[in-house]
Amino acid sequence: MLLELRNNHFEILPERAIYWQEQRALILADLHIGKGMHFRKEGIAIPNKVFDEDLQTLAKIIEQTGTKMLIAVGDMFHSHHNVEITLFDLWRVQYPDMEIHLIKGNHDILSVNRFKELNIITHDILELDDFVFSHERCEPGDKFCFSGHLHPGIRINGIARQTIKLPCFHFTPQCCTLPAFSKFTGLYLVKPAVQDRVFALLEEKVFEVEAH
Amino acid sequence: MQMKPPKITPGEQVIADWMQALEWKSFEFQRDAWRNYLQGNSGLLNAPTGFGKTFALYLPVLMEWINQHPKDWQTKKQNGLQLLWITPLRALAKDLQRAMQEVCDAISLPWEIGMRSGDTSTSERAKQKKRLPEVLIITPESLHLLLAQKDYPKVFSTLQTIVADEWHELLGTKRGVQVELALSRLKGLRAAQPSGLRLWAISATIGNMKEAMEVMLGSDAPKGIIVKANLHKKIEIESILPDSIEKFPWAGHLGTRMVDKVIPIIEQSKTTLLFTNTRGQSELWFHTLLNAHPELAGIIALHHGSISGEVREWVENALHEGTLKVVVCTSSLDLGVDFRPVDTVIQVGSPKGVARFLQRAGRSGHSPDAVSKIYMLPTHSLELAEAAALKTAVRENIIEQRQPIVNAYDVLLQYLCTLAVGEGFRQKETLDEIRTTYAFKELTDDEWQWILNFITTGGSSLGSYDEYRKVEITDGLYQINNRKLAMRHRMSIGTIVGESMIRVKFMKGGYIGSMEESFISKLKPGDVFSLAGRNVEYVMIKDMDVLVRKSKNKKAIIASWNGGRMPLSSDLGEVLRRTYASANYVGKVKAIVESEIEELKPLFDLQAERSHVPDENETLVEYIETKDGHHLFIYPFEGRLVHEVMASLLAYRLSLIKPLTFSIAMNDYGFELLCDQPIPVDNKILQQLFSTNDLIADIQKSVNATEMARRKFRGIAVIAGLVFRGYPGAGVKSKHLQSSSSLLFTVFNEYDEKNLLLKQAYNEAFNDQIEEVRLRKAMTRIQQSDIILKYPKKLTPFSFPIKVDSMRENLSSEKLADRVLKMKAQLEKS
Repeated sequence: MLLELRNNHFEILPERAIYWQEQRALILADLHIGKGMHFRKEGIAIPNKVFDEDLQTLAKIIEQTGTKMLIAVGDMFHSHHNVEITLFDLWRVQYPDMEIHLIKGNHDILSVNRFKELNIITHDILELDDFVFSHERCEPGDKFCFSGHLHPGIRINGIARQTIKLPCFHFTPQCCTLPAFSKFTGLYLVKPAVQDRVFALLEEKVFEVEAH
Repeated sequence: MQMKPPKITPGEQVIADWMQALEWKSFEFQRDAWRNYLQGNSGLLNAPTGFGKTFALYLPVLMEWINQHPKDWQTKKQNGLQLLWITPLRALAKDLQRAMQEVCDAISLPWEIGMRSGDTSTSERAKQKKRLPEVLIITPESLHLLLAQKDYPKVFSTLQTIVADEWHELLGTKRGVQVELALSRLKGLRAAQPSGLRLWAISATIGNMKEAMEVMLGSDAPKGIIVKANLHKKIEIESILPDSIEKFPWAGHLGTRMVDKVIPIIEQSKTTLLFTNTRGQSELWFHTLLNAHPELAGIIALHHGSISGEVREWVENALHEGTLKVVVCTSSLDLGVDFRPVDTVIQVGSPKGVARFLQRAGRSGHSPDAVSKIYMLPTHSLELAEAAALKTAVRENIIEQRQPIVNAYDVLLQYLCTLAVGEGFRQKETLDEIRTTYAFKELTDDEWQWILNFITTGGSSLGSYDEYRKVEITDGLYQINNRKLAMRHRMSIGTIVGESMIRVKFMKGGYIGSMEESFISKLKPGDVFSLAGRNVEYVMIKDMDVLVRKSKNKKAIIASWNGGRMPLSSDLGEVLRRTYASANYVGKVKAIVESEIEELKPLFDLQAERSHVPDENETLVEYIETKDGHHLFIYPFEGRLVHEVMASLLAYRLSLIKPLTFSIAMNDYGFELLCDQPIPVDNKILQQLFSTNDLIADIQKSVNATEMARRKFRGIAVIAGLVFRGYPGAGVKSKHLQSSSSLLFTVFNEYDEKNLLLKQAYNEAFNDQIEEVRLRKAMTRIQQSDIILKYPKKLTPFSFPIKVDSMRENLSSEKLADRVLKMKAQLEKS
């Protein structure tokens, strides 16, 4: 699904990320690296395969798109250091030339040094051309904003009282809220306004849901 | 009679003298229980409330003590714990304590009776630690908390007897499993000593008394004895009939329009208990009664589980003293001590089961020869039929069984962590103990290995990279060493999982009660709602409390507390089927027709006109098309739980014929399959749908296709410690550890299919309350009955209540993508 925004081209990927063609940049939100292990350290047995698969998916789309730059709009890491972050470090060295820009979210509490070691450039807010990247949705301004934080989801209703909930990209005229990249995240149901556009994600597909 | 009295023991003599001084006479079942106890037996005592069942098992403990210490029983102090009395309700503990202490004081036995529940203060706990009382009244949760203490074996070293009170309430719940596990440990502690523990259960009448006893005693115990109190309470049941059945609503209502019929009953009685099935309904009735009859002000009270303990206690005391005219209540007053002034009980809506109905009826008329009078107030037309069925069931002595729970892995995981927090456990010895319980007698070696693996490695696939920590093994001893983890575990011991509750307080201070978080989250400041019979205005949430102020506004939102809906028991379902069929015989000779059914004749006539009233050997199926889609209504009269399973099974089998998505609704009479496309049925297909071939496999598949297992997983995840609900008053701090059980369910399903907790969720979704045998029987019955397929033009009196039911379930055989695309297409059209 390709979208044009401010004369730039953005491809919405079913793997819960957006590829910005002009910049060869991959935009994603809420990766929550270390979340599973954080739970495990506290005696809650989340299967470790969740994390493995999140990283494999990320590697797959980086290679398919030829991403040169990764822009994470917050909550890339879930908490303090743990083994999953070490594993991420090992994964990171495969892409020495890929810049990673992290707009720090409320969960990104690793130390400045640790981010440096991971070769990640951190920002409170990042502006690029006509676009601004922020963890939480920013106040409407001139630039188009990409944000995360909410883990948006959409409920679709059919007749005979059928209903289903799916993760989605939520576009307002000035802002896009990305779905959480990690599979170990819940959904916050959004209620789109009339002028909004919503792209729901299902298996290998992205499709637009009529906002109403 | 001039017979030489049999020689009695000194202990019996002391008690006999005490009773004589009070001019009390013992019942035969009490003497039976005493004799059996003194002979060293274990067993089950079956006696109704209000006839001294407590004394039947408490007094012989004293008798024996006196017999064993004939010289110094009046001086011997600090004897250690002798009797552990398990009770499901902490509200009961206080009255028990008082009654037990009174006996000791009267006969100058220097025993102390202690209490241990979530309400016990820290100072009281500390005191108990120094000097244990001889008798400890305890809840299952607090008993497990004791097992989580470091030196618990010492606490129980002098223990002689364990009594589980109101065992019928615990049986069939996970709290019952908790008791079984604790008993297995306590018996294990005493294994080395020759005289084992004596175990007694006290139970109201249920359909499977012998099994109930076996669950209590465990497979390693010698044969137990059932002591039965043959006291037959007379029960009079009367339905409160509406003036005109034609104008009475067809579907669920609150029944409050019948208030004018209730007032005279209250006026004629000394004290009335008005039972409703939900807390919301009780709030509404409280206001309705007060509005209809303002004279009740000051002598009417409200009692339900979400009202503050202090208020409840006040109501209970006022009930004892007879200063209240009417108390509107829920199951919160089902159990426990008797309120002698109560002479009338009104049941609003169907109680959904014979046992519960009898229990409530028994709340009135306490002296052994008094008649218990209960009025049944229907909230909609068909509930009158239920009243008729209840009468029949009571007359025929039909009473439900309580099915004990098996293989509750979540409770087992929690229990093992409890032991690991306390003294630690060794796997072989603990496995042997666990296998003596009814709940885990069939635990396999593989399952046991999985469970040990889950608590020690978290089912890791990472090996040394993994940082999972919970239970550690040192020299074969399984222990939780991390203090933070240990504390968190202690705080989450228990198996009662409801939605999280928030306390409601006045701005100026003063605690009123508690509300479910989801209800509060829908409120806006300024909204007025009703709690504990008062209208209050929502102000804000502060420090995890809801702050409110008094409101003069008469119009209040009635809170909806979840989890109030009781399924009809299948025994009652069977009677109900007969009752409905009897409608075909109104006015005909030789037929037994309850008066309620005659009353309902106009409704049944309409049903017959639009569709059909099934006879006993018929099963009615209605196919109705409305603007919502295609509805298939089927009426097996098996109760909601069976219908839930049956409906998803049928939906699954239909969806094999062609890809379809169903929305499923059910009530106690029948169920509905709703589809956006025509449903392919005829008589032949219907008969095949009820086939018992591949029954279990098909059920498994249908359960997988619905959300039922996901819902069951909610409780399981909490009990197994996967969802931490936070420290009281510090919810925010633990937020980084919170995840929804629904997310966990998705994650496990995708990445850890073999997880036993998932298996449990699927099992609970269908197997829990319904035995396979029972389902098979129902399916066979329907298959062999005459299936009557009708195509009514309009909704019928039978179908309407199901259609308006809001609790729904989805089942689909369409590929998710296709389904969404189709739904999307429908969206665009609208």
